[in-house]
Amino acid sequence: MKSKANDSKANIVVRFFSSVKLAIFLFIILAITSIIGTVLPQGESLQFYLENYGPFYFKIIKNLHLYDTYHAWWYLGLMGLFSINLIVCTIKRLPYTLRLYSRDYLDLAKDDLLRRPLRTKWQAREKTNPGHLRQEIVSVFSALAGKPRSRQDVDGGQLLLSEKGRWNYWGVYLIHISVLVIFAGAIFGTFTGFKGRVMLLEGEKTDHAIQMDSHGNVKKIPLGFDIKCNHFKVDFYPNGAPKLFKSDLSILEKGKEVLHKSIVVNSPLTYKGITFYQSSYQSVPDLKVKMVSSDGEQKIFDLSAFDRGLWPEKGILIGILKYLPNVHGAPAARVYVGDPSGSNGDAVWLLMGNDRELNIGKNTYRISLVSAKEKYMTGLQVKKDPGVWLVWLGCALMVLGFGIVFWVGHRRIWLWIGEKDKDLHIILAGQTNKNKVSFEREFEKIKDGITKQIGEQ
Amino acid sequence: MSSSYILSLTTFVYLGATAIYLLYWIFRLEKVGILGTVVTALGFIMQTVGIGMRWHESYQMGYGHAPLSNLYESLVFFAWVTILVYLVVEFKTKNRVIGAFATPFACLAMAYASFSPNVQDSIQPLIPALQSNWLLAHVITCFLGYASFAVACGFGIMYLIRGDGPSSSYLLEALPSRRALDELMHQTIIFGFLWLTVGIITGAVWANQAWGTYWSWDPKETWSLITWFVYATALHARFVRGWAGKKIAYLSIIGFVSVIFTYFGVNFLLSGLHSYGSS
Repeated sequence: MKSKANDSKANIVVRFFSSVKLAIFLFIILAITSIIGTVLPQGESLQFYLENYGPFYFKIIKNLHLYDTYHAWWYLGLMGLFSINLIVCTIKRLPYTLRLYSRDYLDLAKDDLLRRPLRTKWQAREKTNPGHLRQEIVSVFSALAGKPRSRQDVDGGQLLLSEKGRWNYWGVYLIHISVLVIFAGAIFGTFTGFKGRVMLLEGEKTDHAIQMDSHGNVKKIPLGFDIKCNHFKVDFYPNGAPKLFKSDLSILEKGKEVLHKSIVVNSPLTYKGITFYQSSYQSVPDLKVKMVSSDGEQKIFDLSAFDRGLWPEKGILIGILKYLPNVHGAPAARVYVGDPSGSNGDAVWLLMGNDRELNIGKNTYRISLVSAKEKYMTGLQVKKDPGVWLVWLGCALMVLGFGIVFWVGHRRIWLWIGEKDKDLHIILAGQTNKNKVSFEREFEKIKDGITKQIGEQ
Repeated sequence: MSSSYILSLTTFVYLGATAIYLLYWIFRLEKVGILGTVVTALGFIMQTVGIGMRWHESYQMGYGHAPLSNLYESLVFFAWVTILVYLVVEFKTKNRVIGAFATPFACLAMAYASFSPNVQDSIQPLIPALQSNWLLAHVITCFLGYASFAVACGFGIMYLIRGDGPSSSYLLEALPSRRALDELMHQTIIFGFLWLTVGIITGAVWANQAWGTYWSWDPKETWSLITWFVYATALHARFVRGWAGKKIAYLSIIGFVSVIFTYFGVNFLLSGLHSYGSS
């Protein structure tokens, strides 16, 4: 008695998790909640939400993790429930589908045929030699319906069946399983792979990628080899729209080049499972600045990008604040010049061909911009995702499943033929679960073929 | 004569087709119905020529890409596929009243593309992110889906205005029966769902190749998933007792609203990776 009660309890649970109603409920809830992340900006700092939405909504956003909706516990929970729904549903329907799939559709009585959606019957007297008409009808059926299987002694006659697309029943399974395969691929990839960035000046190399988490903490991920940017190129269309971003890259193992490839957007480079994508670029100045001190000494600084120049003997630090490639036809740079502590210094504009004088400490310095070039810095997206092939496998299975569900039907056409009181009795019956219109046309064709055969004898 | 001129003319051809199909629905004259089909087919041919010319023009300008790269071109393509799907449905069902519910979608899309100040009809070069063979596969599959959903929405509307009875009024008796409409709606939704799925997948493959992520919850991606959920609901609703018919008809309309939002709303109201689709 008790076990029976448990049984029904378990049944209720199984029925709940396998029900189509739960699936529909989840579809609707997922559709509605997915809207949140498209309306509310995602991935901003908590401060941002407090300032823009006020303390009340901030509390909701924070507790429900709405700043990162699609990774929130409740959203992943819904996805998990969806997966359970799929698994339980698949297992529960399996015996039923197996029965449909393995049933012998030739195991029917004559009268069963008359209950099929499409059916028709004839009665004819054989006029020529006995057995001839019967043979002709069978061969017409085989020619039009496809090679049949047959069974003798069915209610005093012969039953033939031409069957196609029985595996149609597995199409839905393929779709359902493919969703799980995609989920598995995504989860596997999340735990075994990484995403990061690399910024490289032309000529520069690195052995790690940079990853920034949502709190702004920077993490270095070792690549296991060096990647070097030899050259970067950017091209524009006449209307100013970008045409090409191209990085010429080298992979170095222990300082030796093992791979050399140019990448553009849509054509990345993969080495040892790690892929580098062209994602952005920056133009950075490459300047030479000359300082001549009033005591006769001088120094030339190579200031590339964000480097700073030091003149320790004089206690001077120099750095680029801003660079403009063209001010009235000449390049200009705003530089900070002063002592390294920053307490005593000045920011000045240097225009090429236009020297400036500055007093720092006890000396006067004459500062000039000697040369100004531009260098590119390429921005690469770095990714390792060992789960991606599972995702593609899932996608392929899903499309295949849809193909089967949409185009393949389980189509059955029966022919029963038997003699009674010297008359030939014929029944033609048909059934399909897909594309009924074109099936009806096919059925009509076979029907006409048989009618013609009877008339012609 | 430029391609955009020819394409703007097709707006009026489709408008004419809509009017003729409406007349056919009201007066039920076989000749009017045939005229409707002829005008629609002519519009379709004209539009095909226009699209071909635009493709050619892009090569002449030195850009050389298929006309599927911005909002204008996608609207034109949407109208083109809608008419194509409709003509197939008409050929299969032999019911021309459906035309009065399908051609307006194409006409509206063309009118919006050709005459809205928000839509630029100039041919623009492809920016690096769009320079991929996946562009063609992605846009074509997505719009096959969108157009099928437009036609399914037409069926949904027809289903709702068609009463339960055999012929509740003169106008309604010309519509296919509710049973036939339900079947048509189901078939078109499966067809659209297949293409939407392939469209999402080709988008994922492309994104993975361009940016290294197959799914980044960008608003457009998310809205395509929302649309996917709505139609998944419609497909499963058949298996729940009491959900077939009317509820599915409503879902096919809600689904198309979601399609429209995925298509336009995201571009104009939300920002994201697909921003080049908005000009």
